[in-house]
Amino acid sequence: MDPMIEHLRDALEKVVGFIYPNELELQWSILIVMYPYVTGLVAGAFILASLERVFNVESVKPTYRLSLLSALAFLIVAPLPLQLHLGHPFRGIEIFLTPNTSSAMAMFGFIYAWYLMAVILMEIWLDYRAEIVGWSKTEPWAPKRMFYKVLTFGVTTVTPGSRRIDDVLGRAITVIGLPSAVLLHGYVGFIFGSVKANPWWSTPLMPVIFLFSAMASGIAAVMLLYMFLTWMRNRPLDMRCLDTVAKFLLTAIIVAFTLETLETIQKAYEAEEHFDILALLVEGQLSFSLVFLQIFLGSICPIILLGLPQIFGVSDQGRKSLYAVSGVLALIGIFAMRWNVVIGGQFFSKSLRGFTTYKLQFIGREGLVAAIGVLVLAFAILAVLIRLLPPWTKDEPGRAPAAGGRAS
Amino acid sequence: MKDLDHLLRVAATFVVVTVGFLVVRGFLIPPTFGKLGHYRAAAVDDVKAMPVRYAGRAARDACARCHAGPVRDRASSSHRGVWCETCHGAAGAHAADPKSVKPGRPAKGEMRAFCGRCHASNITRPRGFPQVNLSVHNPGAACTECHDSHKPKL
Repeated sequence: MDPMIEHLRDALEKVVGFIYPNELELQWSILIVMYPYVTGLVAGAFILASLERVFNVESVKPTYRLSLLSALAFLIVAPLPLQLHLGHPFRGIEIFLTPNTSSAMAMFGFIYAWYLMAVILMEIWLDYRAEIVGWSKTEPWAPKRMFYKVLTFGVTTVTPGSRRIDDVLGRAITVIGLPSAVLLHGYVGFIFGSVKANPWWSTPLMPVIFLFSAMASGIAAVMLLYMFLTWMRNRPLDMRCLDTVAKFLLTAIIVAFTLETLETIQKAYEAEEHFDILALLVEGQLSFSLVFLQIFLGSICPIILLGLPQIFGVSDQGRKSLYAVSGVLALIGIFAMRWNVVIGGQFFSKSLRGFTTYKLQFIGREGLVAAIGVLVLAFAILAVLIRLLPPWTKDEPGRAPAAGGRAS
Repeated sequence: MKDLDHLLRVAATFVVVTVGFLVVRGFLIPPTFGKLGHYRAAAVDDVKAMPVRYAGRAARDACARCHAGPVRDRASSSHRGVWCETCHGAAGAHAADPKSVKPGRPAKGEMRAFCGRCHASNITRPRGFPQVNLSVHNPGAACTECHDSHKPKL
């Protein structure tokens, strides 16, 4: 039998109640879950970086460059899940060639290009320029030296005046970058929030909820990366930095969780005609990923764990463990949130009288392996970026918060 | 000015890349794109140049000229909205050259599945629309053994 018919027949057996024929198969797979997840990590990491740059939160300085590099690594892979899902990567360029202003998806290309070229790349370049000039002269390996030479754009002198200008320009770019980061991730929420036909998605709160959970995931990812890389380098963790990052993480999770809860309460109170099917969805197919993973494990547990050091005195070692566990739980919870939005929103029929199902493929273009591959690729790119542009200097443990000014 | 040298070079690179992109864009976009809407206007001519397989509306007269009986029967039956070519297939070539090209009709063995596309029981069809449960409605018999497809009511 035709494999497609075989596949549909399997799906048909799992349908509950009455659904329309076009709802049998879920069109947005795990890759579309990865897409808001990865862009969320970008926005979150960039917002953490901006804390130091714009708001002068000195204590998070050791994570500044790591945040920028993480944002760049995740940004590079962000369109990949979409390309994999659509399956025509060579057509991707067409959204730039013939922009369609009435399509939010098509306009994403411009937000992406702006954010990548004008914000992240420029900010990284300005911050590293003095070092890049140095490396272009001292790097022993010729290809790497050539890479740095290209990045100097032929200007191999760094004057105090040029550094001052770079610093001011860097701050200005971060100020522009903040609304860009908000726009980038707000847009992802907007895509879902503007699907009028789907009551699980259609709410103006969606961009805001996505944004705060993006902040939580980006901050958690950078915090874990900072802890892991410092441990790998056998250097002491800057506890003042870690405590501050953890506080911001706690704030982001609380705001995201509160907004999600408010939205749920409002939906329950309004109890519109679609509420019954949503209640069945939450009690049924989403009970594990929503109630257990997203709400309990991914929101309540990290809030309690991160809240403990704010109330009781916890030792350095204890706080490190609490932060590490909370970071992992927050990342799992936010992934579950993306899953519940994307996959959950396709489970129930527009008839409001039936459910379909989703069988996650293992291999294949839209399978689990491809989704994990996208994440692994982001970390591989980050590893290369850290090699090329080390966020720390060899002779000091990270960048001492009290030192002020940039290491060179 | 020396302090701004590196920034001027980056700005110049941006300008070069942007101009380069616009030049490449000029070559990549088909000339007729955007003339009629957000698509390549010449695509309309491409479609028009494709051979027409169906006789379409002209078929009403074309069919009636030679097949007056069945066309009259169908016009007064519940199948009046079903075009000849729905069951007999694309007949443009037959209308142009009736002698050498003959249109098809559903084979007896496939008839139950063919008629079932519209008449097999399905809860999503409008109430009152003629539907039968194919597994119990005279199993094995071709529909045309009892029904005249041009005038299906018994």
